[in-house]
Amino acid sequence: MKAFTAVFVGRYKQFIRDRAALFFSFIFPIIFILLFGWAFQNMGTETFKVGLADQGSPRITTYIAVGLESVELEGDVKMFETERGNLDDLLASLEDGDLDAVIVVPAGIDALEPGQSDNVQVYYDASRTVNQQILVPALSQVISTIAQFEGKYTPPIGMNQQSVQSHELRYIDFLLPGILGMTLMFIGVQGGLPIIQQRQAHIIKRLGSTPLRRSTLVFGDLLFGMIVILASAALIILVGRLVFDVQMVGNWFSLCGIVLLGSLVFVSLGYLIAAFVKTQESAIPVVLIVNLPMMILSGTFFSIASMPAFVEPLIKILPLTYVNDALRQIMVDGTPLHAMTTDIAVLAAWAVVCLGITIRFFKWD
Amino acid sequence: MKPRTQTNRSHKMDVSASKVIEVTNLVKSYGTIKAVDQISFGVSQGEVFGMLGPNGAGKTTTVEIVEGLRPADAGSATVLGIDVAKDSRAVKERIGIQPQSPALFPGLTVREMIRFFRQLYKKSLPTSQIIELASLQESRNVLFRNLSGGQQQRLSVSLAFVNDPEIIFLDEPTTGLDPQARRAMWDVIETFRRAGKTVVLTTHYMEEAQRLCDRIAIMDYGKIIAMDSPQRLIESNIKDSAIQFKMKDYPGDQVLTSLPDVSKVIREEDDVIIYTNNIPSAISGLLAMASQRSAELSELSVRQATLEDVFLKLTGKRIRD
Repeated sequence: MKAFTAVFVGRYKQFIRDRAALFFSFIFPIIFILLFGWAFQNMGTETFKVGLADQGSPRITTYIAVGLESVELEGDVKMFETERGNLDDLLASLEDGDLDAVIVVPAGIDALEPGQSDNVQVYYDASRTVNQQILVPALSQVISTIAQFEGKYTPPIGMNQQSVQSHELRYIDFLLPGILGMTLMFIGVQGGLPIIQQRQAHIIKRLGSTPLRRSTLVFGDLLFGMIVILASAALIILVGRLVFDVQMVGNWFSLCGIVLLGSLVFVSLGYLIAAFVKTQESAIPVVLIVNLPMMILSGTFFSIASMPAFVEPLIKILPLTYVNDALRQIMVDGTPLHAMTTDIAVLAAWAVVCLGITIRFFKWD
Repeated sequence: MKPRTQTNRSHKMDVSASKVIEVTNLVKSYGTIKAVDQISFGVSQGEVFGMLGPNGAGKTTTVEIVEGLRPADAGSATVLGIDVAKDSRAVKERIGIQPQSPALFPGLTVREMIRFFRQLYKKSLPTSQIIELASLQESRNVLFRNLSGGQQQRLSVSLAFVNDPEIIFLDEPTTGLDPQARRAMWDVIETFRRAGKTVVLTTHYMEEAQRLCDRIAIMDYGKIIAMDSPQRLIESNIKDSAIQFKMKDYPGDQVLTSLPDVSKVIREEDDVIIYTNNIPSAISGLLAMASQRSAELSELSVRQATLEDVFLKLTGKRIRD
């Protein structure tokens, strides 16, 4: 235990003095998040586009349209633009992301008697937090104002909310799990470098002259690596939350599980490199050759669906593809672990194969 | 060092002195090369035991087997009564090892490094004592990578003392040190020996071996070719004195060997050593020959034979640093 603590503390002290390791573990992912997050932030509009489907109540539909159009934000910017049309076309536009919400005004709402009430139906994309927090409350306020304006003979109008999962996520919601996966890869695969360096500099041999067990050395290194990975993951999620309001929809334990499984795969990959590459100078290009294709192909920045067909077989082998997919499913859709057995099985297979080959070929001197 | 039973040079030759290292018929091959070929020797408690040999003679391999760093193909090594092949961790707990190059974590400070090594052992000396031993009081918070070569070497050697070992293995401990630091290191080794502890030393410096070692084993081609005290190694191998000089336009071994009373000639480029049991006769012969041939003769000196001469005679090689 004393020796384990020594190895752990030793790794920590060297890590905090290693600027390159610090950069790749913490600064690099944050730069990516901020850069891409801000670059794509204004792709959405500040003005909400609302579709109005009049199903036979033109008077109230017009009131709602006028009411929405009259809401102004700072600088005379209209908060809402309205567009009338038939329900199917409007819903199609909503799913394409061209509209932010669709309000359906049912027949008969024009002719309601006092004492009667009916609701309009609102469709919107609930996975966009801005909709939850701004759009729906604003709509609700406009509609209730109209109800009061109509006076005693106009019936109260309520609002039914109907959320629609649009295929169009905010880019940052898509990006963040990818950055997380990519960072696990960078930290993990680089985890083999200290071993190569210490072996090359005969430090491992020197440690071999003490009663320190090699297993203690390896487990101390591993535990430290895991903690760095968890800290980096927490930082990425925190920055996403604070700067871009990226929500974590799924279960935190599932997320930790995938983060740890992914780390295990990438750390094993790093040790695999250490089993075959003798010097640090030659290890750095090898690490790049392993990391760069995964960073580009495995759906970190772009959906893998947008990749050309000929790289698809390669994409389907790469472990980061499955890490990114699993992280995205948990963070964006809240998918439980038991619904992603393919991802977990492929990653476990990667870990077993890498560790097996490493144990077979690794040499300490 | 903790004071233990005080011993001095006269005591170490006691027949009763217990053997702390016993090596029997050790063999280690790499492919077809026999790095260690049927070696046997013993080291007594309190002894400074030196191992000399040209590069590739098998010194380091032998020492590493004894330390438990690599397995032997055949034969046995026992350290402090423990079979190294069976329980090398128990051996490592009680010995100190300084490898040839100061290989330590570049990103730790002197103090952190000492603490790190202390925690690897069940018992250890205080950090301050090791810092003092390394004379690094002023640099205790300096990162290893920012230390000078000599400071790194001093820390590396001092770390071999961190577990208050009973036997210490030093591989080229003074290589890269300036003369003052080298002398300080010799003092450390002698203090350690005075505390009744044992030192196994490999070195390139003949002066160092001659001064520090109680016994020396000279190795070549995986075998021990001579083993005795420095004095007796010299006396039994070379009865003659050495005349050393530089000579341009070397006339050939035969010319020098035919000079009066010259028993042996060794030459390496311009450096020549001739051995003789009659110094005046050999010198006058040499000078006459030189003036007759108008050969340029310089840096002429006459001295007693040293360990270096023994080494040259036995291995045919000169140790250089």
